[in-house]
Amino acid sequence: MTTHNGEQRWQAVSLDLSRGVPELSCEPGYDGMRVVFFWKRIPLGHCQLASAQLPLDRSQVAAVAAQSISTAAGDYIFEDGFRSALPGSPPPAIEDPVATLEALLSVERPIARLAMNLPVVGPKPRQRLTVAVCTHERPQELERCLTSIVASAEPPDEILVIDNAPQTNDTYDVVARFPSVRYCYEPQPGLSAARNSAMAAAHCELIAFTDDDVVVHPDWTARLRRCFEDPTVMVVTGLVLPAELETQAQQIFENDFHFFHQGYRRRYFDADYLTAARRRSAPVWEIGAGANMAIRRRAFDLGYRFDTRLGPGVFGGCGEDSEFWYQILVDGWSCLYEPSGCVFHYHRRDVPALRNVVTQYMRGHVAALIIQFRKYGHFANLRRLVWELPAEYIILFLRSITCGFPLGRRIMLRGWFGSFSGLRAAFFRGRSEIPAE
Amino acid sequence: MPTKSCQRYEILQIDLSRPLEPLTVPPNACGVAFVIRADDRPVAYFMEALPAGTTIEPEALASKILEHAGKQILADRIFKELRGPLDASRFPRLDIAICTHNRPETLARCLSSLRDVGARWESGRTRVLVIDNAPSDNRTEEVVRNFAGVVYVREPKPGLDFARNRALAECTGDLLAFLDDDVVVDRCWLTGLQEAWAANPDAGAFTGPILPFELETKAQIVFEQMGGFGKSFERVRFGARLPESPTYPCGAGIFGAGANMVFSRAALERLGGFDEALDTGAPLPGGGDLDIFYRIVLAGYPLVRESNLVVYHQHRREYKQLRHQMWTWGLGTMAYLVKCWRQNPAERASIRCWTVWWLCYQLSKISIPHLRKSGGRWPIDMVIAELAGAVVGICGQYDRSVARIARLRRRFA
Repeated sequence: MTTHNGEQRWQAVSLDLSRGVPELSCEPGYDGMRVVFFWKRIPLGHCQLASAQLPLDRSQVAAVAAQSISTAAGDYIFEDGFRSALPGSPPPAIEDPVATLEALLSVERPIARLAMNLPVVGPKPRQRLTVAVCTHERPQELERCLTSIVASAEPPDEILVIDNAPQTNDTYDVVARFPSVRYCYEPQPGLSAARNSAMAAAHCELIAFTDDDVVVHPDWTARLRRCFEDPTVMVVTGLVLPAELETQAQQIFENDFHFFHQGYRRRYFDADYLTAARRRSAPVWEIGAGANMAIRRRAFDLGYRFDTRLGPGVFGGCGEDSEFWYQILVDGWSCLYEPSGCVFHYHRRDVPALRNVVTQYMRGHVAALIIQFRKYGHFANLRRLVWELPAEYIILFLRSITCGFPLGRRIMLRGWFGSFSGLRAAFFRGRSEIPAE
Repeated sequence: MPTKSCQRYEILQIDLSRPLEPLTVPPNACGVAFVIRADDRPVAYFMEALPAGTTIEPEALASKILEHAGKQILADRIFKELRGPLDASRFPRLDIAICTHNRPETLARCLSSLRDVGARWESGRTRVLVIDNAPSDNRTEEVVRNFAGVVYVREPKPGLDFARNRALAECTGDLLAFLDDDVVVDRCWLTGLQEAWAANPDAGAFTGPILPFELETKAQIVFEQMGGFGKSFERVRFGARLPESPTYPCGAGIFGAGANMVFSRAALERLGGFDEALDTGAPLPGGGDLDIFYRIVLAGYPLVRESNLVVYHQHRREYKQLRHQMWTWGLGTMAYLVKCWRQNPAERASIRCWTVWWLCYQLSKISIPHLRKSGGRWPIDMVIAELAGAVVGICGQYDRSVARIARLRRRFA
């Protein structure tokens, strides 16, 4: 069942198993479904089911769900044994394997146990939360995003919209429809500048950022807010799930490029992570995504800023978020990836836009590596640039020669040109320089 | 290269219902293969080269078990809990067919393992058939006579798929299981099948892990180190498509192997049984199982890989036999692909992709990372044998086999 232009349509489905295991069948017109399994509104895993594998009855759904959620469920139930490996690092060692195995075997009914162990949304913490949405001429998407934020189970104390270098009044008009949302104007183009001005304008101790092309989960604000108990945690990132997979471009973005998806288990990154991975470059870009992160305002007070030479609207389509995390980690603070705070992202629908995004991402990635190297002299960044990244491309190219050049690979290979243009970052002069697009 | 003394691995069944104890590698062994059982069910298999006399402390063993089996133990229990209690009372009638050719001793072993699991089974709804394929003497018939209730059928046309189709013709049950004569079934085999069927009554086929029965010779160890048969303990319900797999379903090795497979009789009859030109003894001794799995899923039947459907297979003991087996694998795989290529023009992209992948996979067996993982034996002769078989398979072996079985059919008509 493909649409008139031969493109597949997939359905993005959220399924809360705590409400019982349902039967699954594919809606007419779809080629398959990507099911994200939740338990009491906490995401635990996903699977892809082609329409040829459907429908499934309850016990078959149970089998698929069990395979998809077991690792994350184990991480929530047990002290040890199911901890997530950090990107670029081997899986963590188990401290007491005998006791861990005994604990595993003693749990006859893991789901009942999971219900007890899941992090509950406890009393509201003392710290207050600002949600900041930086936007640039996307009024419809912004409205959808703001609607979901306002409807949060625990609404934030403040909602900011940073209108970044606007050309029309559309954003202002949308914001005017939400009485609880404050409008801020930022003339300097670039997501980094917008985020910096959001941190300056925010009145609360915690600032959660999301993008305008996102819809947040009702628990998103509550979950992120409760992750800042540890005073060394400066940044919390969360899971970004696909909101829809209606077009080929969206499916490629989700399945072929793992830009956003960092798994269903909590990960903790501290300065040791950076030093342990010093020889190989630490993949800081896998800490999370700028579309779903919260920052302690103290980081701003301490002088941490998003590099205004990087990021969408300035130079490259990313890199400003991971470069910010890099600064945080270098100075001994820590970052936390907390998947229970999740948002749903509308990926680019058409292929030219996706191609542009990938090129911009590669450009921003390379620029961020160069800036990190220039700032801290960490040779791992250079190593990534001259060795790991080219090697990845060569492997990708060889694999394409043997198994063909599907669209996803072609787009990825084109991203290579983006990385070349990213090399211009080597000639940036001061922090104040605004590179021309 | 292994030393002369390194000729066997000890196979240990670790039952997790009992506390772990320190284990010592026996003096005549150079490694250990572990079969892990939790809740009495096999959940993982892994092997490791260890010098004789080494003691494995419970800590080290526990961390290995967690690494290989932890996820599966938990997934099994979550599955049971989400699924709820199972109504096993309406299991359909089952025929178990063992196709054999001049191997009475191993056949007797297989039959007694079936009798052991059958003892826990309500009688009358399960029947065991022995298909004696072109025997040269009466020994097989005599062995079968010792097992009450086992049906003996003689199939004069030599060829495994002739025997399998004969089993299909003789079958009266709703499910038809095929076991090789050189396997022994696990004690949970029947209950595993029962549960898999209860969850998937619409499935066209069930397959399961095939573990080594013994690792007594170099050839058997090398075979396992090269990957052996499929040993995935993950429950999967395959359909006609698998997302994110361009080579599916033509890489039919992921489904399982002919030593341990169960079919719905209705599905087999609708597909017209096995392709007798494949698996026909010496000229083309392989590919029949891949072919039937492929046709089952393409016809739209679900194929279920069930982790509890475990058998233990006695691999070839002699190195020369193993090399020959690898040759037949290459031959059978390529003959099967040639057939697929002709009959399913729509699937050609996946066939091409899979052929390239298969070649890369063969070459990867002699790559350095693989060597490091498998303990340093360089199985270049095995890879050459398989590739040589593949070349013969591509160069018209399927057509020669079709012509040959036509002659056979005429002769036995």
